[in-house]
Amino acid sequence: MKNQFRLGVDAGGTFTDFVLVEQDGTIRLFKSPSTPEDGTRAIAAGLAQMSEALDRSVSDIVSNCDLCINGTTVALNALIELKGVKVGLICSAGHEDSIEIRLGHKEEGYRYDASYPSAPQLVPRHLRRPVAGRILADGSEYAPLDEEAVLAAIEYFREQKVESVAISLLWSVSNAAHEQRVKALVEQHLPGVFVCSGSEVYPQIREYTRTSTTVVNAYLSPVMGRYVNRIDEYFRSLGARSPVRYYQSNGGLAIGNVMKERAVNAINSGPASAPQAGLYLAGPFGIDNVITVDMGGTSFDITLAKGGQTNLNRDIDFLRQRIGVPMIHVETLGAGGGSIARLNDFGMLEVGPHSAGANPGPACYGKGGDQPTVTDANLLLGYLKPDAVLGGSIRLDLPRAQQAIASQVAEPLGISIERAAYGISTLVNLNMANGIRRISIEQGYDPRDFALICAGGATGMHITALAEELGAQQVLVPKFASCLCAFGQVISDVKYNYLASMPMRLLPGCALEELEARFAEMEARGRHNLMLDGFEPEQIHIRRSVEMRYVGQIHECTVELPGTPLQEGSLATVLAAFHQRHEALFTYAEPQNPVELVNLECTVSGLVSKPQLPSLPHNPDAVEDAHDGFRPMLFDDSARWVETPVYAGERLAAGCRIVGPAVIEEATTTVVLRPGWQASLHESGTYHLTRWHAV
Amino acid sequence: MTQRHPNPSGVDPITLAVVRGALETAQREMTLTLEKTGRSSVFNLAHDYSNALFDHLPEMVLQGQDIPIHLGSLIPAMKAVAGYFGDDIHEGDVLYHNDPAYQGSHILDCCMYKPVFYQGELVFWTVCKGHLTDIGGPVPAGYNPDAREIYAEGLRIPPVKLWDRGRRRDDVVNLLMCNMRARRDQEGDLNAQYGACRVGERNVLALLDKYGVETVRAAIAELKDMADRHMRSLIRSIPDGHYQGKAVLEDAGHGYGELTIQADITVRDDTVHIAIESPPQLPYFINSYAGNSMSGIYLGLMMFAQVPPPYNEGLYRCVTVDLGKPGTLCNATEPAPHVNCTTTPMETLTDAVRMAFEAAAPERVTASWGHASGINIAGINPITGEQYVTMVLASIISGAGATRHMDGWHACGPLCCFGALSSGDVELLEYAYPIIIHRYGLLTDSAGAGRFRGGSGTVWEVEPIGHEMTVISFGEGRQIGTMGAAGAQDRLRERKLGRLEIMADGKSTVHRQNVITHIRPGQRARNVNPGGGGYGLPWQRPLDEVCDDVKNGLVSAEAAQLEYGVVLKSDLSVDREASERCRCEMNRQGDKA
Repeated sequence: MKNQFRLGVDAGGTFTDFVLVEQDGTIRLFKSPSTPEDGTRAIAAGLAQMSEALDRSVSDIVSNCDLCINGTTVALNALIELKGVKVGLICSAGHEDSIEIRLGHKEEGYRYDASYPSAPQLVPRHLRRPVAGRILADGSEYAPLDEEAVLAAIEYFREQKVESVAISLLWSVSNAAHEQRVKALVEQHLPGVFVCSGSEVYPQIREYTRTSTTVVNAYLSPVMGRYVNRIDEYFRSLGARSPVRYYQSNGGLAIGNVMKERAVNAINSGPASAPQAGLYLAGPFGIDNVITVDMGGTSFDITLAKGGQTNLNRDIDFLRQRIGVPMIHVETLGAGGGSIARLNDFGMLEVGPHSAGANPGPACYGKGGDQPTVTDANLLLGYLKPDAVLGGSIRLDLPRAQQAIASQVAEPLGISIERAAYGISTLVNLNMANGIRRISIEQGYDPRDFALICAGGATGMHITALAEELGAQQVLVPKFASCLCAFGQVISDVKYNYLASMPMRLLPGCALEELEARFAEMEARGRHNLMLDGFEPEQIHIRRSVEMRYVGQIHECTVELPGTPLQEGSLATVLAAFHQRHEALFTYAEPQNPVELVNLECTVSGLVSKPQLPSLPHNPDAVEDAHDGFRPMLFDDSARWVETPVYAGERLAAGCRIVGPAVIEEATTTVVLRPGWQASLHESGTYHLTRWHAV
Repeated sequence: MTQRHPNPSGVDPITLAVVRGALETAQREMTLTLEKTGRSSVFNLAHDYSNALFDHLPEMVLQGQDIPIHLGSLIPAMKAVAGYFGDDIHEGDVLYHNDPAYQGSHILDCCMYKPVFYQGELVFWTVCKGHLTDIGGPVPAGYNPDAREIYAEGLRIPPVKLWDRGRRRDDVVNLLMCNMRARRDQEGDLNAQYGACRVGERNVLALLDKYGVETVRAAIAELKDMADRHMRSLIRSIPDGHYQGKAVLEDAGHGYGELTIQADITVRDDTVHIAIESPPQLPYFINSYAGNSMSGIYLGLMMFAQVPPPYNEGLYRCVTVDLGKPGTLCNATEPAPHVNCTTTPMETLTDAVRMAFEAAAPERVTASWGHASGINIAGINPITGEQYVTMVLASIISGAGATRHMDGWHACGPLCCFGALSSGDVELLEYAYPIIIHRYGLLTDSAGAGRFRGGSGTVWEVEPIGHEMTVISFGEGRQIGTMGAAGAQDRLRERKLGRLEIMADGKSTVHRQNVITHIRPGQRARNVNPGGGGYGLPWQRPLDEVCDDVKNGLVSAEAAQLEYGVVLKSDLSVDREASERCRCEMNRQGDKA
């Protein structure tokens, strides 16, 4: 009975999702309202539901889990609400303002907007204390560290009751001696105060990014630490057999002791498990290029994985803070079911980014919203069932949707409401397709080479239209699409990124052996840490990548390296890979020009066994039984209503094939098959959507 | 009652929105390509470039939110360059140009124009303009305060073809490159521009494949009409009449004294006429040719209009412009030297136009932003032996003006760039050039005082490593401070000005004029940029906000008292009684003034 289950607890802002997977592949989903003030209460409520459903005690379930995994928005919420702790920053004299100057730039979209506020400062200027002492780019010491100034800063922090200290000095990536000395002084004189330094949190060139990342980490880690202590203690009390694993933004798990020190690694963990889940579901179909799309009420999250590998993003602005640490590349748009359709100042129709949210929600919710939304359009187009009841309480009100679309869109534009509804749907699809371009075409990938994986409850209504817009040929929709991310967390590995900076020109005879030694050193650290965590050597997997550019460029291309040791002959291969990547991204390469290496990264994963996927019974004839009448729907702007068959997903069996136009209704998601598409249900519980003739 | 939006063109509103989205994506991907592949720090760190799409007419269909100084001038420049070649424009051609006599901005801004053909027909132009770090001539980086004629400034490139029917004209590219310093950077930037134009082309061709030429053209016409209707509605909201704005251009080293630029705007119903009057052109590099002056005028207009994107040429259809007599500062003609024009006098021209609009619509007033006061650096890198030269964009980051509701952003200027620049990471700059950046920070008391405070200006301090470095200053704002609005006033004006300080041998020399100078290891150049103007009466700023500014070192205790009437005790808490007395007195004096 040991290791019978694996438990995933994904605590979102509104709901906490629970996934309990049995060894035989049975997946059970539960949900409870989140309790941000004390996360354990929501968890207790979910576990109670589980206990009742399985008729076993909570501790019996927990102690029979091989792993308990927790995805949390604690760090994210603290950053959104600016409820981190009071931070003091010790930085290089003359450079105390870099996090406020923000490279002197104002964000796109607000160029002439006189009322756009400047970004919130996590450390006010008086708590940013400059200290003299200077390391240069080559690691040499230009001026010794002014320890008196460090002690004065510490004294000021004590007076000001600072709870957390960030240290970030120039060129600490080339020589961390000053930073280490400052850290030792802080630890000595401010015991009990959290402290972290730039060369530990983000050892890569770029002072602003490093300082900002370190500050965000200092701001959030004590909050995360309190949360982790509570959750760890709670699960220990229930008899958990191994420490709780927390989900990180890099798409991997980490133990609580790591999380407490590196809260910045968890700030966007929510959608980060999607590519892992997508790859896993696509496995039985032999697909390893996937784009996951997740449409919720207010936002649309996109991720991409190529060749079975997830895609990382570094050095980005997240909630207006610059973050360097690698995170799963998630493109987030303000495009959800609640996105509002409106005419802009020019009289042009726009959908989103404003959202009616859950309250008042779309007009058709009848909760006081009178703005037309994407959900209202879907209801009007027939994709959603009129009078259907959502989430047990909200009855969809078609006349309200019609009224909102008529008064706010159709009448002002002088078009019919059907046309307006179809237009709203088309525009939100276009927005989403543009978002997908950002993560694919702009990163040098052709979306036609990928299968779209449908996540989130609202995506299924748009997925075939999106696939057409992008030219994608295949779509996968799991029956549990609405909980894909929670599922992704329970099939993820433990994963840590090790970073280093090593500027060098890649010329014949360059010191590849030093590079090799640097990688070997990072890998040894990674292996050591994972083995402490109980992993066997054969469970440890390592990936290497380097960031390169042409001499004089500032932005690097990330290129994967083979795992084999680098030696003299490797240079040509490494360079060829770079030229190829540059050309794919930017239409040209300059093979005659010198290339330099900047940063290296090594991803060390501890592989965790994966639960099986479900196995549905096979019965192609179940289609007839599942047929549940017809509903008129619109699939183009011609105002020609099509009587469209509706299928009850729960009555379909493996091997069933459904030809579009059609709609499949699952408990938590609705899949619209546009004309020209077909779906077949695979035994693993995933619908495989393909085109059955040219559209 | 919902407002009806007439759509006289009959273009389907959904298709219209779709075409708009596709054009924005095309422009965005062009910008991304330039940013990621540009070779010089000016491109890849500082974003001193701009991308746009034009139609067959050629009218601007979409401009990005890039540098305002580029985008106004692109409109006449595109027409001048296309007009030069007339019928001789073919599939596979790529045109190039920088010459202000053909409506360019200044010769450092080199612009690539790629005609996009669809089924044999010219449908679009993808256009990419960027500031090269060098353009030849006697002074590295192009800013030559001693030039008395344009011929002494650098290489003029009248419209030329770099690609002819798909074939790269290596001879022409070579001719250009042979005239520039740091050739590898310049050639890399040229490649990046070519990449951007092709990425734009790839996108608009896909759009044409999907919708066909006719539909796309109709949608574009309607997008321009919509912008036109919107700008007209804004102009209509201003009472008919004449309004005037005047701004003073300081003497940044030419010896001709202060000069006044005047903008007279006439609003009639939904149209506006903008007439500029400026003194005769000078044998000094602050003359602005027509293309560049259009940028200055459009920026002043946009500071009033505050229109959200997208931007196209339709916005300016109801605007007519008279730049004044040819041969004047804002309508310069050959042989006037001009390289400094994108900042000086462009920013002063923008101020004049903006102030005229303020007179017309006071409720939309904002304070001025700091003008650019920056430096270029050049030398031989002692480690690689290679020559380097660059404009230091981190040295021109000034403060933004305060608005009716908000303090100005710190470090967001200068006015001519409006937040579009990026100053680049300190470590990346130190990695690229043999320098130590000792300081890049906000400067105490640099911000204009007001009920809403201006944004702080910045200071950038540098020392060369192992070689002698040339330092060339440009810009203004070193004698005349940034203008506040709605009663804002500065008593410590000196602290709000820009300047260049050379610190050598224990002495500091302050330069308030454009100079070329040299520093060695152990010596430093410190460049100071002005802050933004304040808004409203300073002594009405809440006591606690002033106190916070003092605590954060943005305002000194001395300035708190002198400018804001806030008296602080030794522990930096507010002496409320003394402050009230001080503020009463300031108010009384202010009334008299």
